[in-house]
Amino acid sequence: MYRKIIKRSLSNMRDSYLIYILACSFAIGIFGILLSMGDNPSVHSALSWWDDFIYDITTIMSSIFAFFAFIYMIYVGGFFVKQQRNEFLTFEKLGMPRWAIITISFLQTAIVQAVAWVIGLSVMLVFQKFMGMLLFYLMQIRFNFVMHIGLKSFGLLVDVFLISTLVLSLINAIKTMRILQKRQRRTIIKTRWWLRIPAGIFGVILLLTAQIVTLYLFKDMRIISYSSKPLTEIVYIMGADIFGTYLVYFGFLPTILNIMERIHSVSYSGINLFSFKYMKERLFQNISILWFVTELSALALALLTFCYFGYQAVHQNYNSAYPFELAANKDTVKVIRKELKKNHAQIKGSYKTAVKINLVSYYSKSSQSYIRQPMTFMSYSDYESLPKRMHKNNAKINSHEFLKIDYNSSLMYNSDIDEHNIEVKGAPMIRTAEQGNSFPYGSSMHFGPMMIVPDNYYEKMPSEVKDTFYGWDFKKGDRLKHSQMKKLENYRDAYYMKVEFESSLSKSTIEVMKKEPNKYEAATYTQAGFLRQGNLKKHFKQGGGFYLFIVALFSVALLVALGSVLTLRILLRDDYQSSQLRTLQKIGVEESEIKGIIRCENTLTFLIPIVFALIQSFAAIAMFDFGRHISKNIILIYAGYIVLYGLFGIISFKVSWRGIKQKFKL
Amino acid sequence: MQIVVKNISKDFGKKRTAVHAIKDISVEVDQGEFLGIMGPSGAGKTTLLNMISTNERPDHGQIIIDGLDLTQLHDRDQAKYRRNKMGFIYQSFELLDSLNVKENVILPLALNRSNKKLIEERFIYMMQLLNIENLSARAIDELSLGQRQIVAAARALINRPEILFADEPTGSLDSKSATILLNYMQMINQKEKTTILMATHDAFTASYCSRVVFIKDGVIFSEIVNPGNRDKFFEQIINMQRTIGGGDYFNVSQNN
Repeated sequence: MYRKIIKRSLSNMRDSYLIYILACSFAIGIFGILLSMGDNPSVHSALSWWDDFIYDITTIMSSIFAFFAFIYMIYVGGFFVKQQRNEFLTFEKLGMPRWAIITISFLQTAIVQAVAWVIGLSVMLVFQKFMGMLLFYLMQIRFNFVMHIGLKSFGLLVDVFLISTLVLSLINAIKTMRILQKRQRRTIIKTRWWLRIPAGIFGVILLLTAQIVTLYLFKDMRIISYSSKPLTEIVYIMGADIFGTYLVYFGFLPTILNIMERIHSVSYSGINLFSFKYMKERLFQNISILWFVTELSALALALLTFCYFGYQAVHQNYNSAYPFELAANKDTVKVIRKELKKNHAQIKGSYKTAVKINLVSYYSKSSQSYIRQPMTFMSYSDYESLPKRMHKNNAKINSHEFLKIDYNSSLMYNSDIDEHNIEVKGAPMIRTAEQGNSFPYGSSMHFGPMMIVPDNYYEKMPSEVKDTFYGWDFKKGDRLKHSQMKKLENYRDAYYMKVEFESSLSKSTIEVMKKEPNKYEAATYTQAGFLRQGNLKKHFKQGGGFYLFIVALFSVALLVALGSVLTLRILLRDDYQSSQLRTLQKIGVEESEIKGIIRCENTLTFLIPIVFALIQSFAAIAMFDFGRHISKNIILIYAGYIVLYGLFGIISFKVSWRGIKQKFKL
Repeated sequence: MQIVVKNISKDFGKKRTAVHAIKDISVEVDQGEFLGIMGPSGAGKTTLLNMISTNERPDHGQIIIDGLDLTQLHDRDQAKYRRNKMGFIYQSFELLDSLNVKENVILPLALNRSNKKLIEERFIYMMQLLNIENLSARAIDELSLGQRQIVAAARALINRPEILFADEPTGSLDSKSATILLNYMQMINQKEKTTILMATHDAFTASYCSRVVFIKDGVIFSEIVNPGNRDKFFEQIINMQRTIGGGDYFNVSQNN
């Protein structure tokens, strides 16, 4: 008989169990794939440079993943026990011993978990190769990913399966025991309008002020390096968003529904009389879950924003450090050309630009200090003739403007304050210069900042040192061999400049030294002889690909978890709510109208969290987008997230309506 | 409103285990008639009522009300017809717990998007007619079973239905509450000329009807017309019930 009861319960809630099992299987599959990737021989062969890093990262990531998946299973698994509350109490009334009911609950959970694990492990086996190939594709590695599960990983998976199933079954058994001990009737949610209305209004105020402060944050974020104001604003926004959202859910939204319910011209029209109350009731039931989903969605969007802009910043930083595949100066160009010739390297493009090095002094606003240093000067025409990628990240200037290109101390936040009053030895003072961070020929080719100046200024200005920079782009790399690189190592430093600063710039001089000084002094600068991306480019692409893989995997997993939680909340409406819908049908409410209520419930349940999450993630854009603007790409990322999230909403509606229709036919 | 039921039948379940709930039943109900449908449990009373009220579709046959064949209507049109022309009283009341008494009663009018003034007028009239004015602001949980059924009746009658369907309306009530409800139903039948179809297995309840048809194993077994004396009619019903017996459902032990 117990077998029949379990079978019947599983069959009755099959739609809900199916969603839960699919979500769990997905999590188990991903966990297994991450775990098995760490000791996959093809990953080790293809990524030998990364050494144990990949193994360490996949182990850490799979552990984090497993931890959150376990939390999800505990939380969502509880829904089913709650759903069977009446059934368990009836069993007890009929004289079934408590231990038998608890065993039924234990076995049900164990069966569901076992099914989820079987499907999850199958998913792992089927998709391991696909995911491995995807990882290699993202890392731009041409290598065959071999399907492999090490004994160690397999043993660990079996252990996790046994322990997690046992623990989850025990937890649900304890939950069942508590239900049988408490025997309380359906809890009636207290409306407490005296509390909800002020709380709701306060929540709206908090959210509005958070948005206003976010607008300020867009402006203030650039001063984060020397002011605590942006940090204070961030703390306020986070607090106001989190608590404001809860209070809006707790007080404001139910109040709106209550007001609409009291406006008879609205509520006495069609099905509104019922649907407003029904929605309010469902909202009361789901406030904590909606809030939880909102905050996690906001976190997911904030993480995506952070990852996107972080990646952009690293990418931009990398590109400004290595704009050419190979760069050289006048002292090394001959040797490098000779080596390239030997290799028959296919040159796609080559560039050369004359530069002047002169002494400057100015007061730097960003560092708030007085600076004296050598600076490399380049003419506007030469700068403009370089490939676009060299100057696309710098401020745009015209032929009579100045642009100062300097190192960026922070990856994320650019200081775009213009420089003023830059004294140049033997040349007119530069009154205003725009700011940029992207160096032509790469930041490592320079010992200090660079200045792009109008052509006639450049022609007339004197120089302490004259140099020429060279840059090459290749088809399929520069092909420099290890031995050639070893030879070129001797040309790494082209020359050294010792600056003698005197009381004024006109008296200060630069002494050029060909040999490395025995003793480095504070004012000794080194001019790089050449700069090559080589392996770094490969590692950068591989690292970026791995990073994208992990971020995408976690984002999708989070989305699946959130979507399934909301779907299950909608599906697992209690018997009382289902019977109300059935009553409506009996007294002549059209099926389309009842479908409308279900659609409305679904839309609200899915729409409310995503709208509030988007409102909150606005602050993340302000924080990570260098406080400048909302870029097109981040809108696309958000749109992708919303579309995937929306898919869950549509599935949820379809399954929910199917369940209701089945009950109508009873 | 005349109801003509022609040769309807309904089966439940799959081929081998199919149960023939209704087998080729034909019946006519005149306008303003108070028809009782009696029979033992499982005889097919509720199924017949559900089919006439368009809550279920017959497998065969026609249900014609004032010349309109309801079996030919689309589900959506059936629902509209049900909402506009019919009222329902169920044994389990089928009240919406989330709504209060007033909201439950006015629901059919609100569904028809009637204007607010009409809704208020009809509500006051109905509450006075059924003598439940003091209940209007109460929650459903706070009502006795008898009060709930009166409220259900008020809801069923507020949009002046031409046909009132009552499925075991007194099934959950004590005799006092049942008598009150039945008196109200009789009053409505006489005052508003509402056609009433009531399924019951209780002879006392059926004695309020003007005619009673007896169903056994899905077919009409017999019918009795009220001679104008309720006590005599009650006795006739009891005698017919004795003749019919409990039906297969109750005869299981006899077969053993």
